Amino acid sequence: MSLAVPAVLLVLWEMCSRHAIVSPRYFPPPTTVGWVLVDGFAAGDLGTQSLVTLTRLGFAFAAAAVPGVLLGLLMGMARPVRDAVEPYIAFIFPVPKITLLPFLLIILGVGEPAFVLTGATSAFFQIVISTLGGVQTMDPRLLEVGRNYGARGARLFWKVILPAALPAIFTGLRLGLGLALVALVAVEFIAAKSGLGHLVYRHWQMLSTPEMYAAFAIVGALGLLLTRGLRAVQARVLTWQEEVGRL
Amino acid sequence: MRALGRWLGEQHWIAVGSPIVLFIAWEWASATDLLREAFFPRPSTIVIHLRHLAADGTLWDHAAMTLIRIGWAFALAAVLGVGIGLAMGLWRQLREGLDPVFAVIYPIPSILFLPLVSFLVPPGEIALVMTTAVTSFFLIAFTTTHGVRQIDRLVVEAAVHYGARGRRLFATVLLPGALPFIFTGLRLGLGFALIVVVAVEIVSTSRGLGALLWLSWQILKIEDMYATFFVIALLGAVLSYGLAALRTRLLPWVQDVTARSG
Repeated sequence: MSLAVPAVLLVLWEMCSRHAIVSPRYFPPPTTVGWVLVDGFAAGDLGTQSLVTLTRLGFAFAAAAVPGVLLGLLMGMARPVRDAVEPYIAFIFPVPKITLLPFLLIILGVGEPAFVLTGATSAFFQIVISTLGGVQTMDPRLLEVGRNYGARGARLFWKVILPAALPAIFTGLRLGLGLALVALVAVEFIAAKSGLGHLVYRHWQMLSTPEMYAAFAIVGALGLLLTRGLRAVQARVLTWQEEVGRL
Repeated sequence: MRALGRWLGEQHWIAVGSPIVLFIAWEWASATDLLREAFFPRPSTIVIHLRHLAADGTLWDHAAMTLIRIGWAFALAAVLGVGIGLAMGLWRQLREGLDPVFAVIYPIPSILFLPLVSFLVPPGEIALVMTTAVTSFFLIAFTTTHGVRQIDRLVVEAAVHYGARGRRLFATVLLPGALPFIFTGLRLGLGFALIVVVAVEIVSTSRGLGALLWLSWQILKIEDMYATFFVIALLGAVLSYGLAALRTRLLPWVQDVTARSG
């Protein structure tokens, strides 16, 4: 990746802001934002708030990943389960998961469980669908070969079905983690009183723009780390898959 | 009827029966207070409220508002996304220059752009629509770029040998070649426009389905909340499955490139 263009853009922004070509109040120079970032991590609460978001993300992801993969595998292998569950998955999947927040807020009360579960549902449906897809699209010849060599039941599952579905499962987990982050930040922006999303909202309302951009930058870095980092992990760990989906 | 019978015969009756059973169980459970009716109102009550909302026009007002916003945001994202995506697919320098910028901005949840956009343009409808367009734009630009890049070099070279150049090369080789990817991008982009518009409506306005849902929660009109949720879900189903069906009908030769990977 060439970094020339981003560098030029940042320098341009810096100069425009310093010479008040754009309003420095709304678009503070990047160096100012940079120092706010340093201060925020050294003394302020940027580190704490990042940790709050990351903790929520961890819980949400765990709550989505285990049941999501299990349900996806079960749906892929047992036709009645798939028929019974698929209508709900298909109906809820395209729904913005943030709409579940008010329901969870009345059922669970305003608090962490409601926030975390909203993020978890966002990831859950993606994970189920990817896992199911992985089982359904596996080469039927693999199954036949496995059976011919005497693999049955648990052995067939561990030696044939699971490895064949693993790339799709990993893709589902990767996408799910990204979706959970998006949903959680939106929840924080809208309803929570802590976390990076809330920081952006609060500093927007107070017009403390350097702090707002600082929180914004951390979310961007986090997103980049999750998307690019996990893709690299996937390419390294699952060496037998042809190509990691670029989309 | 015959097709329906055959479809049901292939064990699909579970797919039809399971929601029916669920709704009957739900109705019964909240009627007998097994589920707290304050939180889980009976489906029949929700339907009554849905009809009230529809009858006095509230629902249509909010739904129309949301649809108009999605329409504008999607149009904006589609034109810019396909345009820039094609340009990035064709020119390496542009692609390599913009790639890192896109990579950083894309994973940022769209709703965070609301403050930024509202600094750039007057807060209100325009800011709302532009925020809604952000993620869809990136998705469409990404898929379009990828669509151009994955075209077989041999096909392009053959076309060039047969004298296709400039506009002709673009219109007869590059664009059709990238089309399946462009369509996937558009479909995903439309889905994301719905997701983002609901979130933005919750924070920044009092009209639209997202706002209706949130206001119903704040004044604890639980039945209206369920009714609005149902409408949003229906809209989601129409946008994502309707568009897929439309594509199969209109462009049968165009395959959905993500159907495989999920």
